[in-house]
Amino acid sequence: AAQTIKLASIAPEGSPWNDALVDLGHRWKEITGGKVKLRIYPGGVAGDEPAMLRKMRIGQLHAGAVTTLGLISVVPDIEAITFPMQIRTDEELQAVIKSVGPDIEEQLSEKGYKILGWSMAGWMHFFSRNKMETAEDLRKQKLFFWGSDTVYVGLLQTLGFQPVALPVTDLLPSLQTGLVDAFAAPPVAALSFQWFGLAKNMSTLRWQPTPTVILIREKEWHKVPEKFRADMEAAAREVSDGLWAKSRELEQQSIDAMVEHGLQVHPAADSVRDEFQTMVQEQGLPVFLKKRFSPPFFEKVQAALAEYRSESAHSDR
Amino acid sequence: MVNAEKGGRSWFRILHRTEDVVVSFLLVAMPLLAAAELVARLFGVVLPGAIEYLQHLTLWIAFCGAGLASRADQHLRISILERFNAPRVQRFAMAAVSMITAMICLFLAGASIQLIVSEAPSLPETARSLLPGFLIAWLEPYGLFEAGSLTLVGGWLPVWAAELAMPLLFVLMALRSILRAGSVRARWIVSAVTILMTIPAPFLLSGVSNFILWPAVVGLIIAALAGLPIFALLGGLALLFFWAAGETVAAIPAETYRIVTSSVFPTIPIFTLAGFILSESNASERLVRVFRACFGWIPGGSAVAATILCAFFTTFTGASGVTILALGGLLLPVLIKDGFSDRFSIGLLTSTGSLGLLLPPSLVVILYSVMAHVPVTDMFLAGMVPGILLVVAIGLYCMVTGVRVGVERTKFEPREMVGALWAAKWEVAIPVLALTVIFGGFCTLVQAAAVVVLYALFVEVVIYRDLPPKKVLNVFTQCATLVGGVLIILAVAIGLTGYLVDAQIPDLAAEWARAHIDSKWVFLLLLNVALIIVGCLMDIFSALVVVVPILLPMAEAFGVHPAHLGVIFLANLQLGYLTPPVGMNLFLASFRFKRPLPEVYRATVPFLLILAAMVLLITFVPALTMWLLEKAP
Ligand code: NA
Ligand code: NA
Repeated sequence: AAQTIKLASIAPEGSPWNDALVDLGHRWKEITGGKVKLRIYPGGVAGDEPAMLRKMRIGQLHAGAVTTLGLISVVPDIEAITFPMQIRTDEELQAVIKSVGPDIEEQLSEKGYKILGWSMAGWMHFFSRNKMETAEDLRKQKLFFWGSDTVYVGLLQTLGFQPVALPVTDLLPSLQTGLVDAFAAPPVAALSFQWFGLAKNMSTLRWQPTPTVILIREKEWHKVPEKFRADMEAAAREVSDGLWAKSRELEQQSIDAMVEHGLQVHPAADSVRDEFQTMVQEQGLPVFLKKRFSPPFFEKVQAALAEYRSESAHSDR
Repeated sequence: MVNAEKGGRSWFRILHRTEDVVVSFLLVAMPLLAAAELVARLFGVVLPGAIEYLQHLTLWIAFCGAGLASRADQHLRISILERFNAPRVQRFAMAAVSMITAMICLFLAGASIQLIVSEAPSLPETARSLLPGFLIAWLEPYGLFEAGSLTLVGGWLPVWAAELAMPLLFVLMALRSILRAGSVRARWIVSAVTILMTIPAPFLLSGVSNFILWPAVVGLIIAALAGLPIFALLGGLALLFFWAAGETVAAIPAETYRIVTSSVFPTIPIFTLAGFILSESNASERLVRVFRACFGWIPGGSAVAATILCAFFTTFTGASGVTILALGGLLLPVLIKDGFSDRFSIGLLTSTGSLGLLLPPSLVVILYSVMAHVPVTDMFLAGMVPGILLVVAIGLYCMVTGVRVGVERTKFEPREMVGALWAAKWEVAIPVLALTVIFGGFCTLVQAAAVVVLYALFVEVVIYRDLPPKKVLNVFTQCATLVGGVLIILAVAIGLTGYLVDAQIPDLAAEWARAHIDSKWVFLLLLNVALIIVGCLMDIFSALVVVVPILLPMAEAFGVHPAHLGVIFLANLQLGYLTPPVGMNLFLASFRFKRPLPEVYRATVPFLLILAAMVLLITFVPALTMWLLEKAP
């Protein structure tokens, strides 16, 4: 009988991320001559990311397309990649993942998971009721924070912000009632959930990236006949790689659509970016190095980043 | 022997008392914590982990409350057959039902243990030689020797530890079910059979063919008609379907955990507690006086007053039937004394027991917003006009009847009105307070609920002194029992929904609808017919959890706004309270007014017809729902 791999994602039907997964299903079917089928649960019907991971642990789901933020509870080091104000461009992120990705994949493998590809969901930007050009502008507004990650809320407080920890379902009503004034989110999400309608100022400052991975339980992966695995993995990595460009395109489209509906985009000056970076580095990093991810791994991320920057500066010249 | 039994009884009493105190503490901790979070925020302080504590307190309240419901034998059930059976058959049915309930509880406990193992850290390899082989065989696939996740509640309590509530309380519920089996001999027999059948069943039933599945489903439904609690019916169905599909039943508690710890769920126990505090105090007497003084002068005034009062109570106590129990006995003599017929009065009080379901802060509206991912405040706005429309329709019918039968009208006495309002001023302020905190924007819905309940508690205990401290504990325990009885149904129903989603049934249904139905209006008409059938067969809680996910993709395909779908759904299911065979209001009214069921059926027919007409209006005039929603900023 055919093997059915059940994969869940929060990407809605019709989005490029889901299209890519559907494409992957076709390719796997072709590669295996129909012996492996991919059944997709899109749009969060199987629950949010923690629920998806829970279902993968009990074996109800076999695979998931999740952001690396969701994986912090499984492999804490993964947070070093997305720590705010470090990586600035898609290219830098790709270079870092190329360098430290194998480390993470090994750590995940120890927990029984296999990564079949890395891609990108978008960059976290600040959206706010009143314009935000400097850190001070943001400090004056109540900043929504998703969930109640105490260390992260602590970071925001240390930086002088006014975080209000709420469940994500409360964001829209809280914006309506004035309980919060600002939030950080990828533009695609701000558009599709209509959050921007009540916080019509967006800073171009990139707070942190949200990479995604296609993740599968090794147990299930090893049920796939060995002769197919290499080709299937290659297909998954190819599909994931193809998403980088598409996600950038969609991010721009989302911003354009929001601008049409009254969004004001405020370019962040380099000095502001540096201010944010120094602030996070000096006041937040020590806590995260102690409580969240290991210093050696963070060093590796920084080294990969420095290497990429010097190389690209070189080739620019 | 006699002494031993007595000693045993007093032990039980101490245990029960301890259980009451612990559960009451958990329940009252919820509004206190939410209020503390609100106060802290006003001073610019973040209480770390408050949201997570509240979510997990809800989990514990749900299960501990369900344990109380088992103890008091207060689980909601359909039970039709038990009304007609001979005593011998009834004894057999009781033993069978308690055995099936116990088995299902034990299976669900086992499934919860599997979930917990998957989340918990790995056992040391040395444990392998210490544990019995069957235990390792049973749990190793779930990661007995694999690390789970590092998710912590409030930064210190591992999630798996919080989840222990599930297996512990399922086992307790199984034991309590066995204690209901009848005579001591029956209990022993039931215990033995339960143990003998529980251990091999998962192995025998895993991956079973439809040949076994469907007879088992029919068996469960018959057991439900004979008095199997609704949660056990749904849990049993979920277990059977997951087994038949060859999937892990740990999926059921995984879904339970997800829904019960969702962010608005803490509002359900908190608002219900507010309703309970009001219904256990003398608020109803004071409010009856207010409404009679305000509306007594219009034709059918006392009936109109009863309608509004019941609607008001139902917004707080939700679909729980508390309205009929709390107000029925008080209002029936008032209506009859004013000259309304027995039949009209009973019909009115039966049907108004669920009126007000669409109005804030109704817990079924909150629940719909969770299932459909619509912001709660949007759903409240959407339900406002249709909810008022239903109340007005029944109110008009009361006025017409008042004129027709020539009910005496009291003269309007401004002094009496002022006096009545003054006496009840603190309670009259409650709906105003509730609306202000919900829509006012200085707090979240959970905090709003906390403010309302703490205010109600203060008013009834300190100002009116209706509830002596000793009675307060009793109110908390009763509330937890009721909330547990409702939440355990939701908790298990979501497991069944998890199966439907896993089998991609909502998508298939939407595809089918798209292929066979070609207009939005035909879809809406069929939706009404389908929902009336659902309302006849299912209670509103399980229907919300199981049916809404199936309807959402279909409604989307036909361009029905999710808020409009919600209002249609809830309005229809409200009719379900009045339709046999599963009509909770009918049972409660028959119980409360001590009348045979057929008499109650007949009495409610005119009200049912009026409400049905209004439901059609709400369905086919979307503007009634969308108007306020679109007007809001
Ligand atoms: Na484990
Ligand atoms: Na019914």
